[in-house]
Amino acid sequence: MSHLTASHGKKKDDIGGTNLIARGDTEGVTRKKHKQLKEKLADSSTSDRERISNYLNNGSTSGFNNTKRRRNYREDDRNPRNMDKLNDHQKRALLKRRRYGNKEIKNEINRKETQRLEAAIAAADAELVLHTEESGFLEVENEMEKTYKLTQNQLKPFLDEQTQRHIFDLRLDQYSPYRMHYDRSGRCGLLLGKRGGHVALMDMHTMALKSEFHLNENVRDATFLHNTTMFAVAQKKHAFIYDDEGTEIHRMSDHQDVYQMQFLPHHWLLSTIGRTGHLKYHDTSTGNLVSTHRTKMGACDVMTQNPYNAVIHCGHMNGVVTLWSPANSEYLVKMLCHRGAPIHSLAIDKTGRYMVTGGADSQVKIWDLRMYKETHAYYTRGGVPTSLDISQRGVLGIGHGCHTTFWGPDSLKYKVKDPYMSHNVGGMGPVESVKFRPFEDVCGIGHAKGVSSIVIPGSGEPNLDSMEYGLNPFQDTKQRREAEVRSLLDKLSPNMIALDPDVIGTVEEGDVHTRYERQQQLEEEANEKRLRDGEVKKKEKNRMRGRNKIKKKLARKQKNIIDENLLKLKEAREQEKAEHAAAKNNEAVAAPTEKAPAALKRFFK
Amino acid sequence: MKIKALSRSKASTTRETQGDLRRQHRNLDPTYHPHQRAREYTRAVTSAKIDRMFAKPFVGDLKGGHRDGVTASCMSRNALVPFVSGAGDGEIRIWDLAGRTLVQDLPGAHSRMVTGLVFANDGQTFYSCSDDGLIKSWNVYPDASNMEAQEWATLHGPVMTYRSNNVGSFKNIDYHRSMAQFATASDNSVDIWDPERNSPLVTFDNLWGNNVDTSTVVRYNPAERNLLGQCSMDRGIGLFDTRSGSALQKTVLKMRSNCLEWNPMEPMNFVVGNEDYNAYSFDMRRLDRPTTIHKGHVGTILCITWSPTGREFATGGYDKTIRIFNHRKSTAREVYHTKRMQKIFTLNFTADNKYIVSGSDDFNLRLWKSNASEKIGQMTAREEKAVQYRQALIKKYEHLPDVAKIHKSRKLPKLIKKQTAVAQIQKESRERKHANRVKYDKSGEHEFVSETKKVVVKKVD
Repeated sequence: MSHLTASHGKKKDDIGGTNLIARGDTEGVTRKKHKQLKEKLADSSTSDRERISNYLNNGSTSGFNNTKRRRNYREDDRNPRNMDKLNDHQKRALLKRRRYGNKEIKNEINRKETQRLEAAIAAADAELVLHTEESGFLEVENEMEKTYKLTQNQLKPFLDEQTQRHIFDLRLDQYSPYRMHYDRSGRCGLLLGKRGGHVALMDMHTMALKSEFHLNENVRDATFLHNTTMFAVAQKKHAFIYDDEGTEIHRMSDHQDVYQMQFLPHHWLLSTIGRTGHLKYHDTSTGNLVSTHRTKMGACDVMTQNPYNAVIHCGHMNGVVTLWSPANSEYLVKMLCHRGAPIHSLAIDKTGRYMVTGGADSQVKIWDLRMYKETHAYYTRGGVPTSLDISQRGVLGIGHGCHTTFWGPDSLKYKVKDPYMSHNVGGMGPVESVKFRPFEDVCGIGHAKGVSSIVIPGSGEPNLDSMEYGLNPFQDTKQRREAEVRSLLDKLSPNMIALDPDVIGTVEEGDVHTRYERQQQLEEEANEKRLRDGEVKKKEKNRMRGRNKIKKKLARKQKNIIDENLLKLKEAREQEKAEHAAAKNNEAVAAPTEKAPAALKRFFK
Repeated sequence: MKIKALSRSKASTTRETQGDLRRQHRNLDPTYHPHQRAREYTRAVTSAKIDRMFAKPFVGDLKGGHRDGVTASCMSRNALVPFVSGAGDGEIRIWDLAGRTLVQDLPGAHSRMVTGLVFANDGQTFYSCSDDGLIKSWNVYPDASNMEAQEWATLHGPVMTYRSNNVGSFKNIDYHRSMAQFATASDNSVDIWDPERNSPLVTFDNLWGNNVDTSTVVRYNPAERNLLGQCSMDRGIGLFDTRSGSALQKTVLKMRSNCLEWNPMEPMNFVVGNEDYNAYSFDMRRLDRPTTIHKGHVGTILCITWSPTGREFATGGYDKTIRIFNHRKSTAREVYHTKRMQKIFTLNFTADNKYIVSGSDDFNLRLWKSNASEKIGQMTAREEKAVQYRQALIKKYEHLPDVAKIHKSRKLPKLIKKQTAVAQIQKESRERKHANRVKYDKSGEHEFVSETKKVVVKKVD
C-alpha cells in the first residue's frame, strides 16, 4: 500500500498536466501575473491609466456601482439579515462558505480578473495603433485671438476644398421652418420642412438629393430607423414610416399627435411622445407596441435618449425632466431642472455622464447624471435655448434666437469662460434645430428660412469603426444588409433598459432570504392585481344543508349589490320614520291648545 | 490661428475596385460600442440556442447489427478503424468504424453469450471470453501464414483457445497495458493468463478470505503495472497486486457495481457504475468514500467508457439512455436516447474523442457524436472561430437562468422524466424525514451525514 500512498500529493494529482491544459495557467501563475499587471498599471502615466480604466470598465460610469455591488455581496454573506429563517442546508452552506471561502470560485474570479485586465491593457495598446486619425482643432497663437470670433467666412480659406463644401446655406422659404437630422453614421441627412410637410433625403457625401416628397400637412419630427433606408415622420395626426424613396410603408395608428420621436438602435425601439403626454415604445422589427406610459405631465415637446443606457429623457412644461424605460410604468428619475420655466431643449453626451438642459429662463444647465446634480450653468443672450446638441467629441451646440453658440469639450466638465465658436444665422432665424454630423466636423442648423451647414473643427470623431452596425459612413449595400441581419440577431430586449446597463448578467444582491421575500411580495402583488381585475372569481363557500340552494345563493348575491334606487328608497323610508317619530313626540309635548297664539287657535279643535 | 478640420476622401476609406478587400477601420473606444454586456448576454442566449439547434448527436448505426443483444464490444488500442462486438448468441463481428460496415462475422464463435472482448496491445489480436467457459484469441487482420493452423474455415481465428478447469463461465477480460498478459474474471476466481499458454498462470480464488465470490469485472490499472481493480458479486470493489496475489483494499457498497473503468489520464482514479443508478468516482488511495457521485440515471448502470482525454466518461444502462459526465461533476452534461434503443450493455469512446459507440439489447450498434452539436468535417477558420466564440459565451453566462434553461435542459422520454421526478420527490421526502429526526429526536443518534459517506458500507483491508 505504501507505494500508493506515497504519491498522495497536490501536484502529483495532475498527471500529464491535464488540468493545466484544460484550464490554462495555474492559480499561482495567474496571481503573479495579476500582481504584475497591477504594478504595471500603477507605474503608467495618468493618461495611460485613464485610457486603460476606460476599457476596463467598458466605458461605463458605474465603476463605483460595481464596487458597491461587490461590497454588498460580501456584507450579505457576512451578516445575513435573517439567519434563523434560512433552512438547515442553507445555513450549513453559508457557515462553510464563511469559514473556508470557496477556493475554486476565488481562483476562477482571479483568473477572470487577470484576463480582463490583460484585455484592457491590450486594447489600450491597440488603440495607439488603430486610431490613426487625429481630430480637428482650433488653436489660438496669441492671447488677442479668440476662437469664438472666427466666422465661417474667415474659416473657409483655412479648409481644404472638400471641407469647404460643408459650409453652405440652403434657402427654402416655402415650407420653413426646417429641421435637420443626420443618421448615426453621418452619411445621410434628413431635411424636414415643418409647415406643409417637405421631406428631403440627402446624401451628405455627394451633396446630392436622394429623394424628396411633400406631405401636404404639417410635420413635427422625423428620425431614421435602424439604417438610412427607413425613417419615421411625425405628421399631423399619426406617425408614418417611409422608405428612402418616399414610399409610405406603415401608418402607425398607435402614435397620435406625436411631437417628438427617438429611435433606440440597439433595441430596435421607436419611442414617441406628443400632445397627450403618452410615451410609447414601438418595436420596429416585430411591429408590436411594447409599452405605453402616461407621463401625467401634459404635452411634451422635448425628448432625447441617453446613448449610454438607452433611457429616454423627457423635458416638461413645469421645468421637470423625467427618465423612462419601457419596463417601468413610472418614471425612473424625476429632476426639477428649471424652477418655474419650461424645458425647451435637452441633450446628453455619448458617455451618458452629462445631461444639458435649456429652459425658458435662458439658462443652459449642465447636470452630472451620476449624481443627478447640477454642476454649472451657462446663460444665453439673445433668445432662450431652443435646441441643444452635444457632438461626439463633446462640443456643446446651443441654438438660441438667431444665434448658435458652441462651447468646447471642457465646458461640460467645468465652467468655461468663453465659448468655442459661434455662428449667427442673421435674418434667417430663429434657429429651429442644431445637430452635429457624426464623424465630421460639421454642424447642421435648421432655421426659419431653410437649412445651413457650418464647420466646427474638432467636433467629430476622426476614427471610424466599420464593425459597429450603422456607424460606418462608407458602407456599401452588401455591408448594410449584413449589418441589418447582425444587428437583428443582437437585438436587445426592451426589458434590458435600465439606469445601470452593466447590471445585466450579474447576481442579484441580497441574501437568499431577502430575495425570497422580495419574490413573495411580487407574487402577492400580482395575485392581488389579478383578483382586482376579476380574473379569478372568488368561490362561494358551501353552507349548511338547506341554505345552499341556488335560489338562496342568488338572493345572497343580490343582497350585496348596491342599487342606487334601493338606497334612495331606504333613505326616504328612514326619513319618513324619523318624521313620524318626531311628529309623535310633538303631539305628546305640544298638546294644550291654550298655549297657542290667539290668531292660530282656530286651527285647533 | 492654427486650424484643422476633418477631411475624409472616399478613396481613402473605401476599396478601389470590386475585387479588393474592404477597408476595415476600428475604433475601440467603448463609448461607441454601448450596451456591451447586454449585447454579449443576448449573444450568449443566441449561442445557446444555436448550439441546441445543431445538436444532432446520432450519426448512424453499424449496418446489419447483430442477431442478438450486443453484450460486449471493444475498440482497438492503437488504431481508429477496427472495432469488434459480441452478442448474446455467441457471435462476434468485426467492423470497419470509418465506413460503419461489417468486415467479418464469426458465427458461433462461442456457444453462449460473449461476456468480454479486449484488444491486445498490438492492435491486431483480440480476445473474447464467454459464459461457455472459453477464452479465444482472434486476428482482425487475417494472417495467411497461419491458415493451416485454423480449425475453422475463417481467416480470423480463433488463433488459440484457453480454458480453466475450475471455471464454469467467464465474466470479463482485460489485457495488460504493456506486457503480454491478460486477466479474466469468472464465477470462481480471477485468473492471470499468458497469451502463449492455454491454462492460467495464476489463479486467485481466495482473495478476500472467502472463496465463493464471483468476480464480474477485472481491469488493469493503466500506470501501475501490477495493480488490478475488480468488482464482485458481494457488492465489493477491490484492488489487488498481481505479483503477490495479496489483496490491497476492498470496499463494499450498498449495491453491486457492474462496471469499473480507470481514468486513462489520472490513473489513480476510477469510476464504477452501480445498481443503485449512480456512478461513483473513487480515488484508489481513499476507498472509504467516493470523490464524486454521478447521478441522473433512472436504471442500473451497466457500462462506462472514458474519453481518451480523461476529462469525461459516458455511462449507459437499463434506463436506455447514454449520459456523458464530466469527471468532477455530479450531473450529466448530455443525455442521448432514441425511440428504439433498448438497454445499453456496452459503450466505447473512439480514440479521437469524437464518437461513442453503443451496443444495446435491440441487436444494434449505434454511433454517437461525443459533442452533440459539433460539426463533422472540415471547418473554415472563420467558422471555427465563430464556434469557439459561441462556446466561450455560453461558458461565461451558463449560470444565468436564460442561458442555463436552453443550454442544460434536454428533452427526455416521458417515462424517464417521470421517474426522475419521482426519484426527486422520494429524495426530498427522505431528507425532510431525516431532518425532522435530527431536529426532534432526543436520543441524538441521528445526525447529518454527507452523502458520500453513506455510499460505502464497509472497508476491508
